[in-house]
Amino acid sequence: MNVEKSQPVISAKGLTRVYRLGDSEVIGISQVNLEIAGGELVVLKGNSGSGKSTLLSLLAGLDRPSRGELMVARHDLNKTSDSQLTHFRRQVVGMIFQSFNLLPTLTALENICLPALLAGKSIAESRPRAMALLEWLGLDARLNHLPAQLSGGEMQRTAIARALINDPAIILADEPTGNLDSRNGQIVIELLAELNRKWNRTVLIATHSTLADEMATVKIGLRDGMITDPP
Amino acid sequence: MRNFFFLRLFIWFSLRDMRKHKGRVATVLLGIALGAAVFSSVRLSVNASLDSFAKSMDLIAGQADYIITRPGGHVPENLITHLWNHRAIKNVSPVLSTYTRIAQAGSEPFLLIGFDPILDRPLRNWRIAPTTDPKAVVWFDLLKEPGTIILSEPLMRLLNREPGDRLLLEHVHQRSNFKILGKLEPEGLALAEGGQIALTDIATFQEFTGLFGKVDRIDLKLKPFATAQDLADIRQMLPESIQLNLPTAARESGQMMIRAYQLNLSILSFASLFVGMFLVYSLVALNAASRRHELAILRSTGASAYHIFFIFLAEGAFLGITGWLAAIPLGNFLIKYLLHGVSQTISTLFVRVRVDELSLSVFEISFSFAVTVGISILAAYQPAREAMQVSPKEALEISQLGMRSRKSPGQLALGGLICILLVLPLSRLPAVLGMPLPGYLAILLLFAGFSLLAPWALQRISRRFSSLLLRRAGIPAYLASRYVRDSGTRTAVSVGALITAVALFTALVIMIYSFRQTVEYWTYETIKGDLFLTSKMGEINRFRYAIPQQVIDNLQDYKSEVDILPNRRFFLNYGKFPYEFELLDIQGFMQYASFFWLKGDPHKIRPMLKGGKGVIVSEVFSNRTGLTVGDVFEAQIEGSYVELPILGIVRDYRTQGGVVFYSMPHFNAQYHQTYWGGLRFFFKDRSQDLDLAVAKLRNEIIDRMGDKVDMFSGKGLRGAVLRIFDETFAVTTVLLLIALVIAALGIATTLTVMVLERSQQLNTLFAVGASFRQIRTMIFWEAGFMVVIGELAGVVCGFILSYLLVYVINRQSFGWTFLYGVDWGSLGLSIPLIVITALAAALPAVKMVFRQPPATLLRER
Repeated sequence: MNVEKSQPVISAKGLTRVYRLGDSEVIGISQVNLEIAGGELVVLKGNSGSGKSTLLSLLAGLDRPSRGELMVARHDLNKTSDSQLTHFRRQVVGMIFQSFNLLPTLTALENICLPALLAGKSIAESRPRAMALLEWLGLDARLNHLPAQLSGGEMQRTAIARALINDPAIILADEPTGNLDSRNGQIVIELLAELNRKWNRTVLIATHSTLADEMATVKIGLRDGMITDPP
Repeated sequence: MRNFFFLRLFIWFSLRDMRKHKGRVATVLLGIALGAAVFSSVRLSVNASLDSFAKSMDLIAGQADYIITRPGGHVPENLITHLWNHRAIKNVSPVLSTYTRIAQAGSEPFLLIGFDPILDRPLRNWRIAPTTDPKAVVWFDLLKEPGTIILSEPLMRLLNREPGDRLLLEHVHQRSNFKILGKLEPEGLALAEGGQIALTDIATFQEFTGLFGKVDRIDLKLKPFATAQDLADIRQMLPESIQLNLPTAARESGQMMIRAYQLNLSILSFASLFVGMFLVYSLVALNAASRRHELAILRSTGASAYHIFFIFLAEGAFLGITGWLAAIPLGNFLIKYLLHGVSQTISTLFVRVRVDELSLSVFEISFSFAVTVGISILAAYQPAREAMQVSPKEALEISQLGMRSRKSPGQLALGGLICILLVLPLSRLPAVLGMPLPGYLAILLLFAGFSLLAPWALQRISRRFSSLLLRRAGIPAYLASRYVRDSGTRTAVSVGALITAVALFTALVIMIYSFRQTVEYWTYETIKGDLFLTSKMGEINRFRYAIPQQVIDNLQDYKSEVDILPNRRFFLNYGKFPYEFELLDIQGFMQYASFFWLKGDPHKIRPMLKGGKGVIVSEVFSNRTGLTVGDVFEAQIEGSYVELPILGIVRDYRTQGGVVFYSMPHFNAQYHQTYWGGLRFFFKDRSQDLDLAVAKLRNEIIDRMGDKVDMFSGKGLRGAVLRIFDETFAVTTVLLLIALVIAALGIATTLTVMVLERSQQLNTLFAVGASFRQIRTMIFWEAGFMVVIGELAGVVCGFILSYLLVYVINRQSFGWTFLYGVDWGSLGLSIPLIVITALAAALPAVKMVFRQPPATLLRER
């Protein structure tokens, strides 16, 4: 899916998420206003508890806002139904996680094909693209390996391939280098940058690390659930 | 201090975690409680019957050192004077007993004992309650006045009588009016027969029953200095047909039969506990696996591997103890139902028992506690061993790889195969101490074998059908098959529980059907007769009383319409094994009916049997005594010593021991004349409406001889046999259903915990585009795989188990086998029902999906 570079692909107004824990309330994010144009590489910075994960989960359609407006790739995430959100997660965004989150009983190839299969494609239809992604990521010799047989860097690259299988417009990465050594971390950031530059994908990276700072086109800071100047 | 530390660690680590997961713990506790309740209440019920029977027998036997009896007959009363003069004999007491009832329709029979109150005093404990007349000496009035009786208090209450009232009792030959002199204090003899007993003087008894000059037995108490030589002298004094025995013989043979039944029911009820064991394994294993990181932290902060090991053993023990305690109210409820069912079954099949109270024996309570806690600890052993292997360095690792199974399915399958291969040789071994212990071990190995094969089967089948499922059933089915394939022993444990429950169910359905079909064939071939007639209360009094001659004479008028076949049954013992020696008109019998032949050529045997050349024995008799075709049957029967060759073996499902058949006319000619104990009528004209003819004949006999005989239509008798059969298996069916419920609980627990444990994976699926429906469908497919494989393996295991039950367990426990048959209809209907029930067990797991929002996937660390 392609989005024009000039149009805001993510637009949030007064975005708030409040968690109720027993009698108390915890504010995840509060009154966040945001506009991200298509084709940007955004680095989201903030300490633990700043609200990065909350914001990412809202953008990924994993959670719904308590208040405010949120449009992502022309999807009003406040008003979409569950089935529309499912379609959104399949086709519009691709998620990359800190702890990789590969299914342990599936091979690398199968993990990559999984979102396509969930979207209703057959294995025959999804395999060519998966193979192309594996080759691009240097994993073609690992396609039949289980996650337990891959290194950390290989697992994260597999996860990147999985995120790209359905050709989403937006890639969301939550601390993608958090469990990698600096060399592999650098590789991953460069891959994400390549996705942004060459493939014109909007990439949003939530991270403590400074590896992505140089490549970012937009930097956003978060503190105590609110947007601040990036550190 | 160390113990307190461990207790604190257990509370902090295990109990607090259990408190967080109340639902799954409650499910396991329910399973254990059900199993323990079933096991305990079955044993207590049978023990109550055993105790009641033993108590009755002991109370009636009293202080006697020996008893004198005549097998199949009565002892002449005049022996007493000879015995009384022997220097070694201290006390002699003649005793008679019979079942009688008040002359009122629907009244229940009770035991009437005839004795000499003076002679009997030193031998039995009984006391008459004081009456309103302080000068009355009731026991003396019992001697003095004919037609007097003393009742136990419960009997008096039941009959709504008081001392001084009259009681019209009926017996074979007559009705007699008795005067109630008093009531027995509730102690000693008054407690026999469930407290429903009456005493009368021996002369009154003999007059009432027609047994003049005869007694059932003479009880002896010897002097302290009596020697073996004295005993030999006493034996010498007795006529050839009279025997001197220990008083415990009758009790022991009855107890032997009840114990076989108790063992079978105990094993069956143990199956419920066994299935519950899988629940404990499942929960402890899942606890250990899901908290692996915490275990690593514990180890890294100083806990030893043995701390971890004992924590999980303690979890098993805790579940066992708590489950056993929870079983108490359940057991209270179950026992009310079981006590009646079990005692009725025992009375019908083996010996008459009347349970008046349930005693909570310390042994039984301790035994049930020990078994429940023991198997819970055993179930926790393997997970505890695996948990202690967790290395401290895992505290630093972020593991997303889930549970690592250390045993390969292949290794487990090999173990399973070995277990299954041992089944056949074990099943061939003979019983040990009269119990089919090798057979039960074979059954245990069969269950273990199939359960160990489960992981390999899950893996193979999932691997084989994965691609097909992806093409035909979509991604949820495919993911489910992959997970089940690779989840190793985790899912296999619940599948093992289901295999056990389904196997039991299948085997018992087959066994009960086979048994019923065979019994049905037997009743229609052997219990043939249009009408059966005995003396009044003949069956309960074991046909010891002759049909009155007047009745026999009157029945001659019907000889043009019916063939009347007489028979006589003697209740004897071969060592400790009770059996019946039945005389019948073989010639007449074979014209209308047939034996159910098992061994020997019927064409050769029939003429020999008709000619009185030998006997045929039942399968039970043959298996119990070891006697077979070609051996010689020997027995003292009343005044004659019978020695006859065994011509053949037949199937006979009469209970209370085995049977030996011989021709009545030839017995009368060769040995001695004997009276008729029962009659069988066959209408000569078989083309008429037999039901109508039977009803007409019956009414005519009642009009002419009414209260002197008991009659049963052949149809009614055959129906009653099958009805009793169905009732005796009702208890078995209930136990079976409970085992299935426990297995379903096991599936529910496993699936629920699998969902909780995989929440990260499931949230990942959600994040990469799976819908709620797809994920829930996947859970149902996982349940489906487990259930289908459990069902299929269970059915195969069940067929093998059915062979063991029919040809090994039944044969060694009760002496009989039956024709193997499968009720495909019932089996076919029940299997989908089991599948639906087990799939319903997946519902709690489906509800658990996304109990926490998927956004927790991104929770910052």
